[in-house]
Order: sequence, then structure tokens, then C-alpha cells
Amino acid sequence: MGEKKDVLQGTLALMILKTLEALGPLHGYGIARRIEQTSGDLLSLNYGTLYPALLKLEQEGSISSEWGVSDNNRKAKYYKLTRAGHRELERETREWNETAAILHRFLAANEER
Amino acid sequence: MSTPFTSFRAAFLRFVNLFRKRKLDHELSDELESHLQLHIEDNLRAGMSAVEARRCALLKLGGLESTKENYRDHRGFPFLESVIQDMRFALRMLRKSLPFTVASVLATALGVGLNVGIFSVLNGATLRLLPIPRAEQVVSVNQIFHRRTIRNTHGETSMFSYAEYFDYRDQNHVFTGLAAYEPFLEATLAGGKTRQLLGAATSCNYFDVLSEHPAQGRGFVDTDCAAPGESAVVVVSDGLWRDTFASDPSLVGKRIVLNRTAFTVVGIARPEFAGTEPIPSTFWVPVTMQESLEPGRDRLADKNLSWLALLGRTRPGVSIKRVRADLEVIAGRIDQQNPGRATSLAIRTATFFGSPEEREFLLPVASVVLAAFGLVLLIACANVANLLLVRASIRRKEIAMRLSIGASRWRLVRQLLTESLLLSLFGGVLGSLLAFWSFTSIMQFVTSHLPRTFSTLAVNVAPDVRVLAYALALTFFTGIAFGLVPALQSSGLDLNTALKGDGARSGRGGKSGQFLRNALVGAQIAVCMILLLAAGLLLRGLYHAQTVDLGFQMKGVTTTFLNLMSQGYDENRATVFTRSLRERIAGLPGVTEVAQAECAPLSHDFSADNFTVPGRTDKVVIEYNHVSSEYFSVVAVSIIKKRGFRPGESHDAPVIIVTESTAQRLWPGVDPLGKTLREATGREYSVIGVAKDAQVSHLGELNTNYLYFPSGSEDNLRTYVLVRFAGSFVATAKGIHDAVLSLDAEMPVEVTKLEDYLDVWRSPSRIAVALSTALGALALLLASIGVYAMVSYTVNQRVREIGIRMALGADSVEVKSLMLLQAMRPVVIGGLAGVVGSAAVSWTLSSMLFGLGPRDPIAFITIPVFLLAVALLASYIPARRAAKVDPMVALRYE
Repeated sequence: MGEKKDVLQGTLALMILKTLEALGPLHGYGIARRIEQTSGDLLSLNYGTLYPALLKLEQEGSISSEWGVSDNNRKAKYYKLTRAGHRELERETREWNETAAILHRFLAANEER
Repeated sequence: MSTPFTSFRAAFLRFVNLFRKRKLDHELSDELESHLQLHIEDNLRAGMSAVEARRCALLKLGGLESTKENYRDHRGFPFLESVIQDMRFALRMLRKSLPFTVASVLATALGVGLNVGIFSVLNGATLRLLPIPRAEQVVSVNQIFHRRTIRNTHGETSMFSYAEYFDYRDQNHVFTGLAAYEPFLEATLAGGKTRQLLGAATSCNYFDVLSEHPAQGRGFVDTDCAAPGESAVVVVSDGLWRDTFASDPSLVGKRIVLNRTAFTVVGIARPEFAGTEPIPSTFWVPVTMQESLEPGRDRLADKNLSWLALLGRTRPGVSIKRVRADLEVIAGRIDQQNPGRATSLAIRTATFFGSPEEREFLLPVASVVLAAFGLVLLIACANVANLLLVRASIRRKEIAMRLSIGASRWRLVRQLLTESLLLSLFGGVLGSLLAFWSFTSIMQFVTSHLPRTFSTLAVNVAPDVRVLAYALALTFFTGIAFGLVPALQSSGLDLNTALKGDGARSGRGGKSGQFLRNALVGAQIAVCMILLLAAGLLLRGLYHAQTVDLGFQMKGVTTTFLNLMSQGYDENRATVFTRSLRERIAGLPGVTEVAQAECAPLSHDFSADNFTVPGRTDKVVIEYNHVSSEYFSVVAVSIIKKRGFRPGESHDAPVIIVTESTAQRLWPGVDPLGKTLREATGREYSVIGVAKDAQVSHLGELNTNYLYFPSGSEDNLRTYVLVRFAGSFVATAKGIHDAVLSLDAEMPVEVTKLEDYLDVWRSPSRIAVALSTALGALALLLASIGVYAMVSYTVNQRVREIGIRMALGADSVEVKSLMLLQAMRPVVIGGLAGVVGSAAVSWTLSSMLFGLGPRDPIAFITIPVFLLAVALLASYIPARRAAKVDPMVALRYE
């Protein structure tokens, strides 16, 4: 299976939001699969940790949920991004990019010496 | 991700979720089930077997149950949920051992209730703000003199003169208004039945500063205070209007006569307002009318007289600190104008009993009382703690089981504390309710049993925020106090011995438990000893006061106080009045002798001054009295050297009579006759006789410096008429009463027995005795229950050992004495600690012991013996049961 990275603390929520933005309403299993696939199967995601994260996002009002029927006729709970969620995603993305840029510059600067 | 709003929203939802548990659990199961099914289908499609597909899906999810657990932690508040769970469990446990629960709740209720009750009384007396609108803005101002200055005082020294009041009123920048008033002003209401009233003379902004607008009519206006004696207007209290004027709807505008001056009623106060002193006022007059009510005493003009209390309403947003800074500038200015004077100011949000003098007296009293009540609560706590310890030893197995299946010690302590806090909560609520309900009536009972001279205090004992906070804090403290030690002790078990079932009899836990139980019993006895000794000392003091030889005779004498000055008499008219009064009284049947005195014995009227012995520089404070020549025989104070005063000898003659001990102190070993004393005015008096020492001014104090002057005609303005009679008191009293009225039909007059004054002296100590005896009895009851419980528990625990001892030949007497000895050890140690503690603090009671030493040997011997006997009895009953143990039964036990 090769070496897999654990999901970095705090980034799971961002991944969920991004997934929902990209794919529209989706159930928990679908989100989990999508995150794994997008990461090129490099991330090891314990599916169970997804649900508390979804709960937290829903409590904070970034996503909402609704029971629906899946492609193969199974009852499942679908999550979708709310308007507050869109804003939240924008903000988080910007913050993450800034952090990453700072870290990148920092590491590059140290290599030059 | 978490802005304040989103986290608030999340917390709210979490809270809501606490109440939708079942539905949410169901939904979660459904969601996870659908997740698994989706995953399994995928896996099947990928070619796994059915079993493999499910196993794989579960693995990836991370276990179904642990996922649910994890999810639930995020859904609600896990801490809160566990607290609720603890409370449910605690309730179940408390219900299971009902007798234990009832006993603990009652003990706590008693302790907390007593303390909350007494606190609500103290709160009403000292902490509550004045009953006026926006009372938190009103501050009281007092001045404290730092150097020894000559200052005239009418009331408290910390009060102000009229001139000083103007300085503060006109020069401050912090008040919207500053009011001044003479707090206690007596006046006789004429017409129909004459009545003595207590009122106040106030500055004309008084009602405005207090925002206290009369219910009918008006308060005072500035012109009322324009010139002394000009505006005879009065505001009367609602009580006076109802009781004396039968709620006359047209009273405003009518005239009433106070001390022979006619006043126009301009207003009737609201029913809630009875002045700004703890003793209710019934009328208010402008301060400029003071001399009309107190003829011959022009207080307005005296710049060095303390007689006015000050209340100011602060401007919005001005702190007490700024008030002080601003007013101290004014104080400094006054100090500068008066060389030798140095004052500072005491500024507080206004309450009853707010002056420095009153606080100096009240604070120690309040702390002694609170401490005494607190001690009873401590005994109750110790009892409950003991019960909890006993119960903990019964629950050892349960607790050991929880520890061994992985409960943390902290979690267990938390659970046990939840139980004890729940107990204290029940007790506290019950006790507080009882206190709120009963203390109002207790207060009424106490005040109605005070002698009439103690006016009713306007103390509001109803609970307020402070009382509730106190009750809550006390309840919480109680729960921790009796719960913490048993909880820590029982959660620190040695699992092996405890689970094997004989941990209670051997091993570490048992021994330290025994030590704790002994310590608790010892503490109870110590506390109980302190309370009982206090009660014992006070009782002895009271007995002492009733039996002690006063050095003079109170029986067979009547006393009548006449304040002719307040009724507008001048010296000549007063002299004529008293002379003819004495003639008429002397002619009454059964009257043997009539005397006059400036201060009747033990009437709480005192005069004292500084004197010097010529040739010496030190000043001596000596109390004095102006008496007529018959005084010594009427109250039977014997003259032991030379002579008393002659009839007709007046204040003009430079003669005095000193008491025996005063003479000895001033001229030790020398004949005092012919020696002289110099008054502050420079006038000298020579000693013409020596009187026996008598407790004429302070009950229980024989050795005060005391001297007698012959009375002069100015003494007739304000005088006590003392009459020795042989017949019936009722007839004599009526005769005197009628004699006074026949001379002046409007003169207020009351004739009482001289010994009635004793009641006033004794009633504080009588209240203290009642209080401390009741507390002591409660403490004794609780402590003996504690001792009894401890001994019975020990006997139960040691049945097997006792059985072995008896099987080996010990007889029942030996077993009994073994048990008693062991029980008495903590009792004796605790008792000794209590005796030592009492001896250290009993001086606080000395003012109520009437000369009895605060370490009175009789009290200090009888009380410990009594307490020891009670403790012995309490332990004897269970110890006897030990002696009845059947060795065979005991050994087969278990």
C-alpha cells in the first residue's frame, strides 16, 4: 500500500467543504471516497472520524443535511453547503493558502543558506 | 472556523441535543448503517466475498461503536452528561438508604438554616441599604478626630456641628445634595392623651436629598430653614397618622403641639419610610426648630458640637473615592481654621448602624454571634461526615469494583462529592426556607420581650440577594466540608483487601478511617465545649447580677423623670414646680421620704468630667451626680465618714462627697476629709464626707471613680424624683402621677419602680443567655449523637475481636471499659482543646458578665464535667451492647 499520510489536524473540515462545493449534495460515504480519491489515495482517512467533523460543521451552520435516496436506491443522509458554508470555505481557503505560502517561503529561505 | 457567533450557535445546538438523545441516536445508527451498506456494495463490486466486504467496511470505518461514541462526544456536552448521570445515580443511592439521607439532610438543614437566619438578621441590621429610592447613591459622612480635642457631643462624636454642615454642603463638588439631621429628638405630643414621641430635626433638603416625597402634603422647602424658630412645620410618619390621629384625612394643615409649641402638619410620610435610623422616627421638623423642642439648648450656634448626621446623594458616576478626595479638602480647610484639630472622614454607602462608633460596637458582636452559629454548623457537618465515613465503609466493595474496572480516582471522588453536594443542597434549601419563614417571627418574639425602653428596631430580615448568596455559599461549603474527606478516603482503597471483604477490619483503610472518625468526634466535643462554656458563663453572670450586693437599696423606691426644660420651664418656674411637687408627694400616705437626683441609680444616665488633685498634674475622669440631701437615705447608700449633705446645701457650696474606693485611689493612706479636687473650670471643692461604694452607675462595676455634688436650683430643669414608700406601689405611683398633673396637666409623667432599671441592664445578657443556651443544647444534642454513632460503629466493626477477647476469658466489665476508654480518648482530648480555646476567647463576653471573671472557676469546672458525663452516657449505651456479645455468635459471624 505504500506510505500514507494521516489527515492533518483541522484540514479535514476544509476538505469536506471543498468536496461539497465541487460535487454538490453528497452523503458521508461519498465524501470520504472523494477525499481519498482526490488525494490520489495518498491520504489514510479513517471514515469514522468524518462523522464528528460533519456534525461540527452542521452545528456551526456551514452545511445542512437531508435524507435522500442514492443512485443505487439506498436511503442516505445528504450534506450540502449552505451560504454561510460558501463564505467559510472562501475564508478558510484564503487562510490556508496564506499559511502554506508563508511556510513555503520560510523553508525556501532556509535552504538558500 | 469558529467566530463567536458560530461557536455560540454550536453550543446552543449541543445543549438542545441533550434533550433529543434517543432520536439522534437512532438517526446516527441509520446513517452509519447506510454508510456501511454503500461501502459493502462497492466492495462486492470490487469482487470481495460478502464476509470480506463487510469486515473491510467496518475496519475502514474504525469500529461501529467507537465511531458512535466519538460522535456522541461532539453532539452534546460529555461533562454535563456525566454530571447528570452522577446526579441520577446519587439520587438513587440516597433513596436507597433513606434513614441516612433523612438524618444528613436534617442535620444540614438545621446548621444551614440557623446560619442563614442569623445572617439575614445581621444583613438587615448592617448591610441593607436605607429604604429609600436609589439608595445606592446615598452615602453617610462621619468625621474622626485624631488628636484629643475638647468636643461637645450630643449623640456620637463623629457627627457634625451646624456650621461644619454648611461648609460641607456649600463647598463640595460631588453631591446633588447633602442633608443633615439630629437623629433622636424626644417630644411630648399634647392634646387628649399626652404621648412621648421620637423624631428627628432635619435640614430642609432632607426629603429632597433622599428622594423621599411624602405621601400627602409636602416635605420641607428652603424657606422653612431660613431663620431659627420661624417656621413651625412638621411632617409626621404614616404610623403616627394612623395610630394617634386615626388616619384623619384632613390632618395636613392642622396644628399639633409638640413640647408646648404648635406645629402645622405639612406632610405625611410614605408608609415605607420611617427615617434613616434603625429606631423609627415618628415626626420630622426643620432643624431650625430644634430649640423650640429642646428649650435652653441652642445647638445651632455651637460650632464645636457634634449632633448632626450627614447623608449625601452623589452625582451620577461619582465614586466613593472621589467623594472622599473632595470632602477631605474641606475637612483640611476646617482643620486649618481650628488649630490643634485633625480630622479624617469615614464615608460609606449609607446603611443603618453606619457610624464608626456603632460599627466599632457591632462588628465584634456580629462576629462573635456568627462564629457561635458557625460552630453549630461545623458540628452538624462533622456528624454528616461521620455518617458518610460509616457509609463509605459499607460501600467499600462497590467502590473497589468500580476502581478495578477502570474508573479513575478523580471520577469516583467527583461522583461521591456529587452525592454529598446533593445532600447539602437538600439540607440547605430546606434550612433556608425554614429560616426565611421563621426568623421574622423569631425577631418579633425577641423584640416584644425586650423592656419597653428598647424601641422596636426597623430591621428588615426578609431575604435579599446577599442572603441568598450567603445561603448558597454556605450550602456549597457544607457539602464540600463533609463530603471531601470521606470521598478522598474511600476512593484511596487498597483494592485487594477491600474486595476480599475484610478490609473493614484490617489494613490501612480501616485504621485511617478510625483516626478520622475520632478526630471528627474530638472536634465536635471541642466546639460543643466552647458553646456550652459560653452559655454557662453568661448564665453565671446573670445569676451574679441578680444576687450581687449592689451596695444600695432598689426595693421600695419609685422613680420619675421630669424634663421641665423641654416643656418650656425656666429655672425659677422649675424650682417652684419641684418644690411644690415634693411637698405634695411627701404628704401622700405611705411615702416616707422624697429625694432628687440628676441621675437615678442604674438609669443609664451618666455624667463624667475631668478633675485634678491640686498639686498634681494628671487628670482623673470621675463620674458624678447632683443629689439632694435625702438621696443617701432614700436609696440607702451609707455615709461611712463624717456627714452627708445638709438640707438647703446647694451647688453654690464648694463641697463634695466621694466614694470609699475613689478616696483611696486619689489619696492613698490619707484621711480624705478636707482634701480638695479642682474642676476643669478651675473651681475647687473640698471633701466633707465619704460614701460607701455602690453600683449606682454601672451594674457590676463597683470601683468606678464617683463623687456627689449637692444639687442646685438649675438641677430642677431635668431631674429624677425618687420616692421611698412603705405602702403599695400602685397607690403611691398613682399619687405621684396625680400630683404632677395637678401642677401641670400637660406634663408627661411616668412612675416606675427603681428596680425596673435592672431589666434594661440584664436584657442583653438575657438574650445572649437564651441564644447561647439554645445553641449549646443543639450542639450538645448533635455531639452526643456523634459520639453515640461512633461508638456503635466501632462496636459493630469489632464484634469478632470482642468475641475472641471474651472467648479468651475477658469478662463483660473488661470489654465495657475497653470500649469506653477507647471512646473517651477523643472526647477528653477534644474537651481539653475546647476548654483551652474558651479560656482564650471568653474575655469577649466580659461586658455581659457584670463583674464575674471571664474564667469563672465554677463554670469552667461544672460545664466540662457535665459534658463529659453526657459523652460518657452516649458511649455507655452502645458499649454495653459490646459486653453482651456472645463469643460463639461473634466468631461464627461471616
